[in-house]
Amino acid sequence: MAVTASGVRARGGFLALSWSNWPLALVAALIVIALAIWLLPGTAAFWVGLAAAAVVAFTVVAFAYGRRNNGALLVAPAVALLVVMNIFPLLWSLGLSFFRYKANSIQPPAWLGINNFATVLTSADVWDRLRTTGLIMILTVSCQLVVGFLLALLFEKQFRGRRVLLMLVLTPMMLSYVAVGAFFRYYYEPTFGLLSQFVRLFTGEPFLLLNTPWGARAGIVFADAWMWSPFVMLLVLAGLVSVPSYLYEAAEIDRASWWRKFRTITFPYIRGLLLLALLFRTIEAFKLFDVVFLLNEGGPGTSNETIALFIYRQSFQYNKTSYSTALAYIMLFVVVVLTNLYLYAVNRRARETA
Amino acid sequence: MGLMKRASFGVLAGAVIGLTTMWADAPSARADDIVLRMAVPDWPPTRIMKDLADKYYKAPSGNHVTLEPDFIPWPDYYTRLNASLTSGEKKYQMLVSDSQWLGAFIDGGYYLKLNKFIDADPQLQAVFKDLHPNLVADYSSYPHKSTNYYGFPQMPDVLINYYRKDVFCDDGEQKAFKEKFGYKLPCDPAEMDNVTWDQWGDFGKFFQRKKGEMLAGKTLDDDFYGISYQAGKGYDFSSMQVLTMMYQDGDGIAGIWDETKAPNSHAEGVVNAPTAVKSFEHFLQLLDYMPPVAKTGTMDIFKTDELFREGKVASNIQWIGFAESTINPETSKVAGKVDFSMIPGTKLASGKIVHWANIGGQPFVLTTWNSDQVVKEALDFCKWWLSVDTQKKFAQAGGQSGLQSVYSTPEYLTYRPWNRAFGPSLDWQLDVWHVPPFFELLVEQQEEFDKAITGQENAKSALDTIAGFQENLLKEQGMIQ
Repeated sequence: MAVTASGVRARGGFLALSWSNWPLALVAALIVIALAIWLLPGTAAFWVGLAAAAVVAFTVVAFAYGRRNNGALLVAPAVALLVVMNIFPLLWSLGLSFFRYKANSIQPPAWLGINNFATVLTSADVWDRLRTTGLIMILTVSCQLVVGFLLALLFEKQFRGRRVLLMLVLTPMMLSYVAVGAFFRYYYEPTFGLLSQFVRLFTGEPFLLLNTPWGARAGIVFADAWMWSPFVMLLVLAGLVSVPSYLYEAAEIDRASWWRKFRTITFPYIRGLLLLALLFRTIEAFKLFDVVFLLNEGGPGTSNETIALFIYRQSFQYNKTSYSTALAYIMLFVVVVLTNLYLYAVNRRARETA
Repeated sequence: MGLMKRASFGVLAGAVIGLTTMWADAPSARADDIVLRMAVPDWPPTRIMKDLADKYYKAPSGNHVTLEPDFIPWPDYYTRLNASLTSGEKKYQMLVSDSQWLGAFIDGGYYLKLNKFIDADPQLQAVFKDLHPNLVADYSSYPHKSTNYYGFPQMPDVLINYYRKDVFCDDGEQKAFKEKFGYKLPCDPAEMDNVTWDQWGDFGKFFQRKKGEMLAGKTLDDDFYGISYQAGKGYDFSSMQVLTMMYQDGDGIAGIWDETKAPNSHAEGVVNAPTAVKSFEHFLQLLDYMPPVAKTGTMDIFKTDELFREGKVASNIQWIGFAESTINPETSKVAGKVDFSMIPGTKLASGKIVHWANIGGQPFVLTTWNSDQVVKEALDFCKWWLSVDTQKKFAQAGGQSGLQSVYSTPEYLTYRPWNRAFGPSLDWQLDVWHVPPFFELLVEQQEEFDKAITGQENAKSALDTIAGFQENLLKEQGMIQ
């Protein structure tokens, strides 16, 4: 960063009107975008904003070209795509969350300040959905970790048919969410479903899983864990096979117990990977939508409606666009915090072991 | 990226059109190529429309007009259409819209108001006169029942009763039923038309059989159930049936906030009125005689359709739109064993039997961003679609027509076995709200109904919650004073 700044200074300072003066272009673009949002109708403001973003991208490229920075030039197309497709819309929607705006209304956006965020954070519905999401998240992630871990212990050993079995176990992870949702809906269905047919062998009555909140929750957790336990298994398996066998041999000579071997040899090797699995799965579970929606739309009532499903309703069914973006940003914030917590934990471990 | 691509493609296309028109300018009369792009749900009524348009439509203007439907699967339809409209991509010249969506999308300025075209065109006036008035009110008017018109019927649809004649008309079953309940088990469609929900409940009780028991002289290899109707949480898959029963008990609009009397009508005290609670309790009670999936919140219209075609149910309340697949041996185990009647009614204190019901089906509308030429071509297409000749062809291929001069002819009854129930049912159709926040009203109602259906809550407290929610929401929106 210091190099860049001095580079600009060398060419005539911040105010120099040059195609390679990207800091000036950036500041100018921010002012233009703010003015455009304030003064122009929504569509015009959007295109002006996009054009301003494009100018900034261009100046950055020109700057890199001027400095013969070929590496930067090579990644420029990718960065430009990222700016246009991801970063600009992200910032645009952030801006939108401070307005009152419905996508299906001809009313132009009206400034609302942080009201949307205040409404979201004080809404009993939102807290209820967050609790539901947290509950499902804890249940499904712990299931996945346990099952994935046990599967990894199984597949660590060599046995006949291991490859075929491993492939079969990995299949669910590669299916589409929609297929899995539809599949489990049939699986739990009381008239034709396998689960009900099985229970009927013992009770003689069709079995209704989805008509209680806890039943439906179990259904969701089972489906999600079925799909994603193999992912945890893969990560843990990678850790297990990386344990040098001489450690076990040495432990064998010391006549260490199974538990002792696991605690002092195996676990330290897989701890980092387990944390990584935990991180990935927690973030994914926090965004859980597909299975819940396809199974019974978060029923009975709203007892299993996750926050992602709630946002979908606000945004795409009710067209409460700015309110739902505010909500989505709060969700993003939660995910970022979670990510950082885990990264912190992982880094500390790395330092400890180093 | 998509937008940019389309923009550059547009420039290119513009250049090409410019060149070709320069080329073609030499002959004096020139025919334009006009494409009417239309968003439609992917199912037989729209497929038939495309088919007929390709085969028979010649634009009276002499232009070369083609209908280009974008077939979108039903479960995705609202989301995709909503995304297209609200993003401002202006992709479609026409689109199929559920009647409840009218307010939300008219409010956004997407649907073209037709009044000035109707006023200027005697042919369109004749079409509107010939359409059943309930279809004009429910499919076209906004605010509801006003004289602002927006839509034309694409596929008018009503709830009817699909029943197994092999079971209902069996001599043994007839005798046993008479002994048990003291009246004759209906067999003919005409007899079935006069059934009440209470009697229909008796059929449910009577035909609920376990695996191994006898049904119509045969041993059952699986459990069998008497009746079924929609009771699912998704979209409107319980509201349509619950409201139908509320309308009947109230002899007209009942159990629902009346948008035509806004802002003086209320939800509180209407939605949870004692008669509405009674109707809803009746709805819940009948679930006992249905396949157990009815109590899980996943009994949507696709599930009831499947159960009926699999031969698990004796009588099913369903939209006409599903009927074709029940008589096709390739898709139905009960083909050849099915008959159709009006839905059960309710006997009022006066002794009159009423058949009020919530309307199904969809209108199609024009969008607001088209050139005058495209609007003219689209309206010419609508006139062709709603001409007697085309509507007859549509009905012969398995669709329904809302034109009185088509559906009330004796010939119409010969097209399909369920057509006899269609015309008489039309007189009884009412509709849910068409106001912009309809989806919020619908989702909350579906959630509360779902709690009652799955046994988490009783009918009264579900309706109290709905009434309170609607009263608040509509007050906030200025629709209740």
